[in-house]
Amino acid sequence: MSDVILSVNNLMTEFNTDEGRVRAVDDVSFEVKQGETLGIVGESGCGKSVTALSIMRLLPQPVGEIVGGQILLDGQNLVDLSIAQMQKIRGARIGMVFQEPMTALNPVHTIGRQLTEVILLHRKVSKEQAIRQGIEMLDKVGIPSPDIRMSEYPHQLSGGMRQRVVIAMALVCQPRLLIADEPTTALDVTIQAQILELIKELQKDLGMSVILITHDLGVIAETSNSVVVMYAGKIAERGSVYDLFDNPTHPYTRGLLESIPRLETPPKSRLTIIPGMVPGLLDMPKGCRFENRCRFRQEGCLSAPPGIEEIAPGHDVACYRWQEVRAEAVAGGDSPNFKLSAVA
Amino acid sequence: MSVIPLQVKSVEPLLSVRDLKMHFPVKEGIFMRAGRFNKAVDGVSFDIMPGETLGLVGESGCGKSTLGRCISRLYQPTAGEISFEGRDIANLKRKELMPFRRDIQMIFQDPMESLNARHTVGQILEEPFQIHEIGDRAYRQQRVKELLDVVGLPARSVTRYPFEFSGGQRQRIGIARAIALNPKLIICDEPVSALDVSIQSQILNLLIELQKEFNLSYLFIAHDLAVVKHISDRIAIMYLGRIVESGAGESIYRTARHPYTQSLISAIPVPDPHHHSHRQILVGDVPSPINPPSGCSFHTRCPKVMDVCRETAPVLSGDQQPVACHLYE
Repeated sequence: MSDVILSVNNLMTEFNTDEGRVRAVDDVSFEVKQGETLGIVGESGCGKSVTALSIMRLLPQPVGEIVGGQILLDGQNLVDLSIAQMQKIRGARIGMVFQEPMTALNPVHTIGRQLTEVILLHRKVSKEQAIRQGIEMLDKVGIPSPDIRMSEYPHQLSGGMRQRVVIAMALVCQPRLLIADEPTTALDVTIQAQILELIKELQKDLGMSVILITHDLGVIAETSNSVVVMYAGKIAERGSVYDLFDNPTHPYTRGLLESIPRLETPPKSRLTIIPGMVPGLLDMPKGCRFENRCRFRQEGCLSAPPGIEEIAPGHDVACYRWQEVRAEAVAGGDSPNFKLSAVA
Repeated sequence: MSVIPLQVKSVEPLLSVRDLKMHFPVKEGIFMRAGRFNKAVDGVSFDIMPGETLGLVGESGCGKSTLGRCISRLYQPTAGEISFEGRDIANLKRKELMPFRRDIQMIFQDPMESLNARHTVGQILEEPFQIHEIGDRAYRQQRVKELLDVVGLPARSVTRYPFEFSGGQRQRIGIARAIALNPKLIICDEPVSALDVSIQSQILNLLIELQKEFNLSYLFIAHDLAVVKHISDRIAIMYLGRIVESGAGESIYRTARHPYTQSLISAIPVPDPHHHSHRQILVGDVPSPINPPSGCSFHTRCPKVMDVCRETAPVLSGDQQPVACHLYE
């Protein structure tokens, strides 16, 4: 397939900690196609951010390490590249936006200096041209009077404006792929709406692909074409956004969707919960990692982790008992939140 | 069969706040003189009935946390009245406040910051009893055990330290401390915002159960409207230090009247890929409460702004669902 921009194959990332070596990302594979948005969703510690840092080769050194798998950007394996080669890719071919814009910006340099630095690093242009391109980019991300903002410092901007500057920096060299790690989590909901809309518009203009990492299923439903659900370092379920929301098949995905209060749920009704909590990376269960919280658990789930299985074209699930989960869902035994269609 | 009419008893509100103001002086210049004021809360009035939850929603900087801290009297409000069971506590001194501190408790967003890291869970939960000189050692320890059981933590937690717990469990410790002295009102300041989705629902269920069991009243402060609507009987929407609209949760959601409430609701991402929202995206940011816009403070971002909005501030009015907007005058 030629329209695949990024292909992550069997990625494994490990960390050395005081208590031992932990595998934060375990056998994760997915593809990002030209122009599409892939959402990665999961709770804290599920490995979604480490996956992003692995792709950017920005794992904390020396504790973090990619120990297996491939990250193919347009066919080129990023895992093998040297630091110098990676620096040419970051900012130019992959842009990145983090959760907290204040930590992504340098407080002692002006917006203009930080923005032109990216341009001068990756393009053969004069300083004047770089400034002009910087102003254009600020204008494109919706910053009023961009020429004045160029000489201001990050603290002079509001949180939403700062995130716009970070997006401008990530996109000024027109990368083919943008990785946005919780880009709106620190922002208010009205500002979040502005930023998500902005990313969508720029994506259309520039034809780039986006990996959007978030814990917010609402954000996923609104922005993503395909979705990867991660749990404790592994992929639980993977498919199109419609597969995931209409036919969630991993018990964890179902649990997540059932446990969020929605505007339609009757007030003060009991919310469905996922009992217990995520196991620590140091004492992962031998079998399925969701086993201790799963109501479909059986003897067979305890010995080895389930492999990922294609249950419908493009819809993959890592669960031994997905057929039972599906059967229960189709029988309508639980929450009416899902519009259930017949099993393929 | 004749229908027996409901006994409409005129219950007295537990808490009644009138025209509350909290203005923080902004110290600037070389002499650090307070020339200007940050009007974090600027004339807020509401009631909370026994056993009721009032949800308070707004974006960062709207004054919702400051309002909570005024009511729990962590702050001394600049002006206004906070009457709790009929007595005005807005200007009480430290000693006079002691009995009220038992009745009004708080739960904070980040339990790691609000729990003393050097104390064991047992010490943390025993402390309220020591401060208020309640019971002997044996009684306190018995109560601590009961509290842990009520919030769903194992009894062995007593000897553990806060860092040994996950975020959700720590929030349970914070809740146990808040209910230790059988309070009447708990101010919950973003109690689930820092938690993962699957843990958030556990804590919301716990808060709802506790409310039913102990007839607690909550002032539930949060920015997530879906969460607030789930737990609240009534909701008040705040913008720049003032309440712009209030009413029953359901009616606020279905028939929002204030343009700010409308855009707030439309901005919430819906977890359904088939849903296509007609989103009203607000332009710009929340203005500074130090120098709020003239007239209606929302007029700089309002999609329905009129001339009158720039000059006169609207008053919160109406019976069922009061709104502060010139469109409804």
